[in-house]
Amino acid sequence: MREVAIVGVGLHKFGRFPEKNIEELGRVAILNALDDAGASPGVIQAAFTGHVLQGTGAGLRVVNEVIQTGLLIDVTEKACASSSTALRHACWAIQLGLFDVALVVGFEKMQRGLLGAVTDPSAVTYDQLAGIRIMPGVYALQAMKYMHQYGARPEHFAHVSVKSHRNATMNPYAQYQKALTLEEVLNSRMIADPITLYQCSPTTDGASAAVVCAREKAHHFRGKPIIIAGYASGTPPYTPAGGGDLAEGMVESIARQAFKMAGLGPEDIDVTQVHDAFTPGEVFSIEALDYCPRGEGACFIWEGKADINGEKPVNTDGGLVSRGHPIGATGLAQIAEIVWQLRGEAGPRQVPRDPRAGLCHNVGLGGCNITILKK
Amino acid sequence: MTIEKTEKKRIPLKEGLFDIEKGRLTGSKCPQCGQYFFPKRHVCLNCFHRDLEDVDLSTRGKIDTYTISRMVLPGSVMKEAPYGIALVLLPEGAIVQTVLTDCDVESISIGMEVELVIRKVEEDEEGNEVMAYFFRPVKGGSS
Ligand SMILES: [Zn+2]
Repeated sequence: MREVAIVGVGLHKFGRFPEKNIEELGRVAILNALDDAGASPGVIQAAFTGHVLQGTGAGLRVVNEVIQTGLLIDVTEKACASSSTALRHACWAIQLGLFDVALVVGFEKMQRGLLGAVTDPSAVTYDQLAGIRIMPGVYALQAMKYMHQYGARPEHFAHVSVKSHRNATMNPYAQYQKALTLEEVLNSRMIADPITLYQCSPTTDGASAAVVCAREKAHHFRGKPIIIAGYASGTPPYTPAGGGDLAEGMVESIARQAFKMAGLGPEDIDVTQVHDAFTPGEVFSIEALDYCPRGEGACFIWEGKADINGEKPVNTDGGLVSRGHPIGATGLAQIAEIVWQLRGEAGPRQVPRDPRAGLCHNVGLGGCNITILKK
Repeated sequence: MTIEKTEKKRIPLKEGLFDIEKGRLTGSKCPQCGQYFFPKRHVCLNCFHRDLEDVDLSTRGKIDTYTISRMVLPGSVMKEAPYGIALVLLPEGAIVQTVLTDCDVESISIGMEVELVIRKVEEDEEGNEVMAYFFRPVKGGSS
């Protein structure tokens, strides 16, 4: 199977841009990615887009802002994992030999307020009506059980946000570029125990893009190609015992498949982006990725091991909590950060020791995508 | 001229989850492997058997985990916070996600014994009583 390389990445800054439409957000990200690759729009043979709530034809409209050559434009919805899924589709198509060069785009303009609020009465679920399905719900339920089982404390989760915000101060694309103290995080409004407001990803507008190609075509583009070494996807399996560990097993199994494809193990990963829609997500995912034993993730992060200068840097760009989470654009923003880190272009937030391999973990209602990149 | 007598009915917040008269949650049981599910479903996720049977589920269970919602979800029947939300593990092995009622949120704990209560949450435009299910701590139960 031929390898796929990422030869260009670009973002539109994440934040709140009421005056901008998705076409503008997407256009900026696409042009940044094309410029990064040194690619003319005309070389793109297919485009793979991911968004969630932008309506009919949004993928077409965004790509047509820059490219209207009659190319195939694919559209994927996989909730918060939409654009990493679009990347997967591009990989498959290139590996099948259908195309040599493709564009991947993720974009979203989000409604303000709580995701999951009741908007369409006909589509409303019992859980929404009854007040059961609040947004940090699963993360909060898992976090409470985790504290019960392993003796973790609310400050452990709050510290994840302190680290994220510190990293985001060094990321010009991040929505929040202000450091927060542990007290500020803990004393922000409680949303659902133990998760306070500053431990929740915000509503965000933004766009992300990447130019990908068959590895043997990478020399046509500027700069050092980053190779997609391994990837795997899946959804939460049914487990008869159920319980609070709603996603237990899913990430572990997908990570194993991705590591196997890449011929790498957790010990080989030098920089990581995980899906921290709420701070406990970072704790659970680094355990599932086997960076530390189950139950030790909270202390691992607390002790600074996931800091930019730590042994296992995680969410160097601020993560979802601080970089922002425009749901359709998040997956590719993680990819962009790993590309910059592996190229040594991450500026003040660059991880030390010449990183060789990085990993992205992107989760949505549509399941989980893990992507491993290497130089 | 006929005079229609309008009677207040008790109706569920959403159909199919519980039986108001019996005061029980309705789940499914797989006749092949014995697995229980809530809410009801048609195909067994454990053995893929079809035509699962409707069953009344146990009215008592234990809190597997919980959180305390400190805000209200716009459009929901819970108009005041804080309130508890829990995953309740029933003896059959089914898991029910629920709002907790009749308790001080600070007293909720993992492992606490809870029981089902189905009660009116609002009246609709026709004056029907809209019913929802909750769980509450069992008096004198283990906690
Ligand atoms: Zn069965």
